[in-house]
Amino acid sequence: MKYLYRMFRLLVLMLCLVSAASADDTVASATAMVEDFHSTLLDVMQHADALGFQGRYEKLAPVIQAKFDTPFICKIILSRYWNELSDQQREQFIRLFNRLSIATYASRFDSYSGESFRTTGTEELKKGRLLIRTELLKKNDKPVKFEYLVHQKDGNWYIISVIADGVNDLSLKRAEYASIINDRGFDNLVSEIDKKVVELGAPASSNQ
Amino acid sequence: MIYARFVSLRKYILILIAIGMGSGCASTQTTPDNPDPLEPANRVSYEFTDTLDKYLLKPVAETYVDITPELARTGVTNFFDNLAYLNVILNSFLQGKFDQGLSDATRFIFNSTIGLLGVVDVGTAVGLPAHDEDLGQTLAFWGFGQGSYLYIPVQGPNTARDVPDLASSYFLNPLTYVTGAILFPLTAVNIINKRANLLEATNIRDEAAVDPYTFTREAYLQKRQYQIYDGNPPVEGYEDIFETGGGDGSGGEDTGVLQIQ
Repeated sequence: MKYLYRMFRLLVLMLCLVSAASADDTVASATAMVEDFHSTLLDVMQHADALGFQGRYEKLAPVIQAKFDTPFICKIILSRYWNELSDQQREQFIRLFNRLSIATYASRFDSYSGESFRTTGTEELKKGRLLIRTELLKKNDKPVKFEYLVHQKDGNWYIISVIADGVNDLSLKRAEYASIINDRGFDNLVSEIDKKVVELGAPASSNQ
Repeated sequence: MIYARFVSLRKYILILIAIGMGSGCASTQTTPDNPDPLEPANRVSYEFTDTLDKYLLKPVAETYVDITPELARTGVTNFFDNLAYLNVILNSFLQGKFDQGLSDATRFIFNSTIGLLGVVDVGTAVGLPAHDEDLGQTLAFWGFGQGSYLYIPVQGPNTARDVPDLASSYFLNPLTYVTGAILFPLTAVNIINKRANLLEATNIRDEAAVDPYTFTREAYLQKRQYQIYDGNPPVEGYEDIFETGGGDGSGGEDTGVLQIQ
């Protein structure tokens, strides 16, 4: 009996260790995904002038497409309006929003003066989501806190929200878009975003 | 002992605040699902301020940045920040952050003297960093709700809870008590320099926003929350957006406006 009890304890301990190790692995792979994104951003910044806007856009496009769960982000941002859209409208919006994200990064990360990224911690949230805390360190200026909300789909981690110094892009866009849809309808929102993407410098009718 | 001190301090502050604010706040309470019940009036204020900014303040601030070396602008910012720092010291203490308050007071003395009237930020160099406190944050700390969002013409975004700070920061700023010929140029440089320091933020707004009014409001409300929690807001706030409409992100009954409180 005592032997059985000892075996049982050993088994429980092993299970705990295995699950803790796998949780660590999961957190590590989420962190690695965000750090990989940061290294692309740094690369784009360091070669900003040589690449030009178009070059930065093309370099960022596949990375943002692979690391952001844009369909999920669009669903959250459009909130209750999402249900009113046809499949075709949803696909059109996801494509447009993806271009907006790429163009925004290509425009914002357009120079380099010694910046670097640092991961400062992770926190487990509800429903398997993780918060990855990072900082953009600047020379002669205060660091900017970048926090990423990530979730897992089909075994891969995806970014679903970016919070810069406490300002959550997802919430900001949801409020903005709701205001435009309420006042002027969905079609006008689409044309406003399209206009924005072109203003940022992206080609007018890209399918990126 | 410490708890008792906090309770009595809290009672004292609440009485002070009640006297200071009168019943003005009651009329600005907002419903939980809409932080901006005064939106039509706020939008008029915003448009007015934006037009004034576009044709006057922003071009002047841009010229100021072009013709003034960065080092000089840093000195100007340090000088005016130091003058405004008495309000920070007071509010550090009012929030019960005694160590921070002492550090802030020492910082003010250092910067005002060996920092050449605040132009040189000696404090940061000797380990007395600048803190970001104001009466709006103090009221939030003591449990006051944010009240309605208010866009005050020229002054900019506020909530009802932030309005008393306009008075405290005014009366605690030595600049208020300056008279004579120096007052006008000092005030002008202060305003232009403040606007110049906001150029990056407004450029981001102009670049990113499809509805600049809503963008400004949401960014302001979130930023305030971030300041109230000294840069560490509760993570639950980040998750609320996924929970509305049954947690599937479909929205349900939500108004499309981020709920902060």
